[in-house]
Amino acid sequence: MVYSSILDWVNFPNIMANPYYPFETYNLPYDISQKLWEIIGGTIAWLINLLFPGNPVSEWLVCDMTVNFFALIIFMIVVFLVVFIGILISLWEERKVLGRTMDRRGTMVGMKGFLQCVADGFKTFMKEDTQPRKVDRMTYMWTVSLVIGTSMLIACMIPLSDRWYVVNYNTGLLLIMGLFALAPFFILVSGWSQNNKYSLIGGMRAAEMMISYEIPMLILIATACLMAGTFNIGGIVQAQYDTMPYFIPQCIGFVTFFVCANAEAERTPFDLAEAESELVEGWQTEYAGMKWGLIMLADYMRGYVSCAMITILYLGGWNLPFIGDLNNYVPELVFLLKTWLVFFAMIIVRAALPRVRTDQILNLGWKVFMPLSIINLVIVLLLKMGGVF
Amino acid sequence: MTMDYLEKYRDGRVNTAKTLWVMKPIYLILRLFNKTVVHRPVTILYPYEKLWMPDNYRGRPALAFNACIGCGMCARMCPTTAIVLVECPDDEGKPVKRPQVNMGRCSFCGYCAEYCPTDAMTMSPIVELAEYTRADLIYGPRRLAYDHTTDGMKIDIEETLLSDYQAGNGERRINPAKTDRPVLDNAKCISCKKCFKSCPVQAITMEEHGKNAKGRPILWPSVDDQKCVSCYTCVDVCPKSALHMNEVL
Repeated sequence: MVYSSILDWVNFPNIMANPYYPFETYNLPYDISQKLWEIIGGTIAWLINLLFPGNPVSEWLVCDMTVNFFALIIFMIVVFLVVFIGILISLWEERKVLGRTMDRRGTMVGMKGFLQCVADGFKTFMKEDTQPRKVDRMTYMWTVSLVIGTSMLIACMIPLSDRWYVVNYNTGLLLIMGLFALAPFFILVSGWSQNNKYSLIGGMRAAEMMISYEIPMLILIATACLMAGTFNIGGIVQAQYDTMPYFIPQCIGFVTFFVCANAEAERTPFDLAEAESELVEGWQTEYAGMKWGLIMLADYMRGYVSCAMITILYLGGWNLPFIGDLNNYVPELVFLLKTWLVFFAMIIVRAALPRVRTDQILNLGWKVFMPLSIINLVIVLLLKMGGVF
Repeated sequence: MTMDYLEKYRDGRVNTAKTLWVMKPIYLILRLFNKTVVHRPVTILYPYEKLWMPDNYRGRPALAFNACIGCGMCARMCPTTAIVLVECPDDEGKPVKRPQVNMGRCSFCGYCAEYCPTDAMTMSPIVELAEYTRADLIYGPRRLAYDHTTDGMKIDIEETLLSDYQAGNGERRINPAKTDRPVLDNAKCISCKKCFKSCPVQAITMEEHGKNAKGRPILWPSVDDQKCVSCYTCVDVCPKSALHMNEVL
């Protein structure tokens, strides 16, 4: 066998030409991961081929099916990393903006304070993982894993653009919202399993809060989907690009959804489930070490998903108006910037407002948000019937 | 319905609807955010940047080694007894007495600087005095040096004397206590010359006043008003308490 160059092994074929390509349209993270595997696997295959010329392993490493398999693994890592870094940036943003709203500087550890996230991660990772003796082990571990898992799943499932998605099908929005609404159940069970009164009260409050904000929120989502005529996230964004961002016709719904999204993410005006000044740490009281660190991360993931939902439903997603084809360059960055802008508003609300009482959130949910969302629905119906949209 | 809700939960002091309910705190926070972004926040990054400090800021005591006469007035006046006189070599190697300050005890009151007759002791603007051990907090006479002493740091006591005040005269006199003079109770003096030896400014001379029953000369100290700095050293060393200070009141 003659010597083969590495260029024989590393070539970047068109991803759509792969018969095992798992998506219907062009997918950028998959493209990146496949090219990464072309480099990694191609190099390995070339090296093995140098040692054992003409062996089948080298051929196997670069065949269509193997490339697809490893590209999907790298695809998961790429999608997760981008979301993860986006969430770390929103964490950093929260620290900095909260600092400025309190006339101080916020975190200052390296890279303008960004490395504080890394330091916190190391700290929680190094901590002893204690576990109370009388907790119900199975539910204690499973519920927290599910809270973290579902949060991570929905955070990764948010499409950053029409080429950066994990799943793209017609009820994607419903799927995300369904998984998003699961957490309060896990929190309730987790609070029960911890055998601690603070945790139990926190879990009860999570359930109590859910019945107050979830219904207006779902009505608002249904309204936005009604206006767009589809449950597909890409469809909703495209509909807004064709007409106008929905926060203009649905201004009532936008404000209501913003507050409901705050409640859904359990951020400060509505952080009844972990009211650290009333309940010790709420439903997270008995979780120590990295479990608690991951719960905090999951909190911010849920905050990110809330902001992303607002961006998708009301702010026009990854498109900017009036710039035409320029939208094709970095729609992912536009989407993330919009998300961080919404997150900024959430931080301002957190800095400005005190925590609501349990009866106040019920009142708000049923007597204020519910009528407002119905009014919003009526407005949209009138606009639809009048033929404006 | 919304107004009913607002009315139900207003706290009685403010009309929530009039104050825009949740919009007012958000507006206030945004204004503060804008202020702290455009200008800097009030907090500073202390070890890297410091607040402006006046030159005459009263920090730790500082000593001009060669201006000091070793009278011990600072040690005598120190309210926390942070200052003791220690013997140390001067520039020529002769042993002299100089103050040593324990910064762990110092209360930064500035009495030592006020009472120093030669303004050798001043208060420097140095405030960063953290050390790892307590022993490191003890500043010897040489370590107390501070190079940038200005005239403004040399402070005098200004006070109105009680007699002046009773006479209706509110004049503020500068360093009136420096006109205190030691007075001898002749009957107690045993002519030991300790005051003569200990005087830091050599203001005391021993004058002969006849001879005693054993034929030894009777020596009584006499104080040179021009040289005396009213430092109480002679009063303190007198073994028979024959000297006392005639205070200006």
